Amino acid sequence: MTGPGGTADARTSFAVTYLTAGLAVVSRDMQLFFSYRFRWISQLLQVILSLTLFFYISRLLQTGAPGAADDYYAFAVVGIVVLQVLTATMGLMPLALRQELVAGTFERLVVSPFGALGSVASMTVFPFLSNLAIGTGAIAFAAAVFGLPLEWSTAALSLPVAALAGLNFAPFGILLASAVIAVKQAGAGTTYVITFFSLVGGFFFPVALLPGSIQWLSEVQPFTPTLDLLRHVLVGAPLREAAMLSVMKLAIFPLVLLPLSAYVLGSAMRLTRRRGTIAEY
Amino acid sequence: MLSPASTRSTTSTASAFPGAPPTLCMQGVVKRWPRQSKPVLDGVDLDARAGTVTWIGGRNGAGKTTLLRIAAGLIAADEGTTAVVGLDPERELRDYQRHVGFLSGGNGGLYARLTVASHLDFWSRLALVPRSKRRESVEASLHQFGLEELAGRRVDRMSMGQRQRLRLAMTFLHQPTLVLLDEPRNSLDDDGLAVLLEALRILTVRGGTAIWCSPSGEDLGFEPDARMLVQAGRLTPA
Repeated sequence: MTGPGGTADARTSFAVTYLTAGLAVVSRDMQLFFSYRFRWISQLLQVILSLTLFFYISRLLQTGAPGAADDYYAFAVVGIVVLQVLTATMGLMPLALRQELVAGTFERLVVSPFGALGSVASMTVFPFLSNLAIGTGAIAFAAAVFGLPLEWSTAALSLPVAALAGLNFAPFGILLASAVIAVKQAGAGTTYVITFFSLVGGFFFPVALLPGSIQWLSEVQPFTPTLDLLRHVLVGAPLREAAMLSVMKLAIFPLVLLPLSAYVLGSAMRLTRRRGTIAEY
Repeated sequence: MLSPASTRSTTSTASAFPGAPPTLCMQGVVKRWPRQSKPVLDGVDLDARAGTVTWIGGRNGAGKTTLLRIAAGLIAADEGTTAVVGLDPERELRDYQRHVGFLSGGNGGLYARLTVASHLDFWSRLALVPRSKRRESVEASLHQFGLEELAGRRVDRMSMGQRQRLRLAMTFLHQPTLVLLDEPRNSLDDDGLAVLLEALRILTVRGGTAIWCSPSGEDLGFEPDARMLVQAGRLTPA
């Protein structure tokens, strides 16, 4: 007999089972990633090369202000690392989804009781976490080799900021995954979207340099506050606005973006189930 | 166009569990593909009863795979209804999927660089098998499908027949009520076929139901409870 307590236990048990299914997707992605022994080294090298390149580019900076080259390098390092994480979450995940379609493994996710929605959402987790780890290694490299001045007193705060960033980045990956499910392609779109955000988000230069007519774009997406906060806590860069305001933005954007992306993904699934194209590629 | 339900003959299987409602009930199912003049399925009715195995044959492209995909909840019909143990795939998809095991055609659906054990563990979690039963389910599947010695082997280092055994093991692992098999003999040797037939025997003894689709003329290696054909979009007794 199941009383009220029993029902609560059943719900908890189901929630644990459901969470376990999501973690299984993360674990699968991790196993596949590490089955290629040099993949993580290759990704780390890629970002280290970018950091090295930008170090020498920053040496060209001659504003007359003391330390301008170092300040710009610190600015760029955080931008490069965050862009790496963003590219992984937005770009690699839809690519992986397309591979699943071609290999026929997506079909199995769709007919599983866990379902396609949960599976696709879970597929954003490992690329984000693995590239966060690689980014951390890259920042350590920049500090050790190029003397990036880390703010040790506040560096630990980058963890909660990164967690908030993950919640903000995931919806973009889910939206692009929806495009893969609906139209089977997202490669070109992904490149445009990432380039657009790297332009208006302040990844490589301060958004204050943008023309006034498009500067508002830097206020209506989560990348600008993410970069501001991370630069502040990691390298002591001044904030553009109050820290609390940036944190609030990072907390509010996912409240809008996550349900929106889940709705779009659900619509893509329903549309392709109706059309019969869900397993096509 | 659909005929009125009263004038259509429902294709039904005799049950080993008399009185039990049909495990799979499809009524008036119609599916059209874009840019094709005729529907691939044009008013399919099917009642598959508990404890039975139904073979569905037909020519290449007749619509067998489409029929299975609709029954699996993978794609939706344009018209008509589908229910598994009374569950609607539109409104109750998660519960619906818990009752269904689906083996797609071909040899896809596996991760080349994951091991057999990893696949079964992964699937047991996606199938929402409770934690207390997960390990037991995986071990039972390894044993039932003769995969124990291959548990640690990566899929890309296995033969096609071994891969098919793994795909079958994943199909049966969560003890579905309805098993949908699209050309399950694919690459199986005699031992593999025997393993599959034993899995079907166990399924039907516990009241489960199976639909086996393959092209007409294939030697099944057993006598199903019912034989049907997809012809001109309709399902008729063979």
